[in-house]
Amino acid sequence: MTEHRALNAILEPGGITPMYQPIVAADGSLVAFECLSRGPRGTNFESAKVLFDYVRLKREETLVDRACIVAALATAPKGDGIRLAVNVHASTLGRDHDFTDFVCATADRNGIARERITIEIVEHAPPWDSIGFGTALDRLRGAGMRIALDDVGLGQSNFKMILDVRPDYLKIDKYFVEECDADRHRQAVIGALSTLASHFGAEIVAEGVERESVRDTLRDFGVQFMQGYLFSKPLTADAAAAFGRVDA
Amino acid sequence: MYAYRSISPLTNVPERILIVDDEDLIVLAMRKYFQGLGYEVDSAFELEEAQALLANYDYDLVIADLRLTGIGGVEGLQIVADVHQKCAHTRVILLSAFGTPEIERESYNRGADAFLHKPKAMMEIAKIARTLLEA
Repeated sequence: MTEHRALNAILEPGGITPMYQPIVAADGSLVAFECLSRGPRGTNFESAKVLFDYVRLKREETLVDRACIVAALATAPKGDGIRLAVNVHASTLGRDHDFTDFVCATADRNGIARERITIEIVEHAPPWDSIGFGTALDRLRGAGMRIALDDVGLGQSNFKMILDVRPDYLKIDKYFVEECDADRHRQAVIGALSTLASHFGAEIVAEGVERESVRDTLRDFGVQFMQGYLFSKPLTADAAAAFGRVDA
Repeated sequence: MYAYRSISPLTNVPERILIVDDEDLIVLAMRKYFQGLGYEVDSAFELEEAQALLANYDYDLVIADLRLTGIGGVEGLQIVADVHQKCAHTRVILLSAFGTPEIERESYNRGADAFLHKPKAMMEIAKIARTLLEA
């Protein structure tokens, strides 16, 4: 019987391969890496979208989020000034009451200052334990970590979520970013989000930046941080470490 | 030998097939056979893996075992429903060693294009697949 075989392969040591995509400031300097995950090589789960669709269908976000964090922090690039953003499902924060202790222990074990870590909340689909979710956010912040909200403007990542989370970073999806140089409606969305972020004391991270004219448009709107193929594709641990050294 | 053409006349790229079965050897054999005919082939061993693939890729044809989780399973029916919810042009062949007339009828009611009783020769499955893809 093959039930759970794929999940076991994902969860076993080496099942998750971490990748690191640089996040840069408006002036191009490196400020962070977003830690991304790929499933076992040679399987359908090398595609992150297939991997996480599968994980959500199996309702095993908590286990896999933990596995991804273990993999990401084990080989994360060094550098005190460079933040590390790890993706976590909202449902994990709601259900996994030991999550903060787990992240802290994993960071400590790898010699990573907790203050370097940003918890990037993804896939905000209900149902979830909103009290547990709020408590987890408080505990993560209490441990020195920051909170980012992914895919703002899409799906469940809406105004209610912004109010509930009070994120330090709003991440704007590629859908709004690409073509924003030539689309005044996308510019209107980015401008509105930028204003909203400033009211919350948050900063904007624009994803999917692939062209200089898009970067320049985002700068005009005061977007503080960007990531995308214009700066770098996701990198292996070794390549990310080299990227960090060159940028420094 | 049946004359196969596995290039889609609409897109001019290889037709893409998803094979879903919990038996390794069946998946391996079907992959090899259909790849040999020029199809692009993906495979999945369980319902959720197939659903994740269906959510992210377009397939011309899905060949799925009715039962993926042991006694009494009818996950293949869920795959038929998922396929037709996402893409009306995708054809579905269900295979089963345990097919009853009721299950077979239910499969067609849900939108399966063919229901085949195992064991079935690979060449025969491929012939039916070709007929469905050219319909």
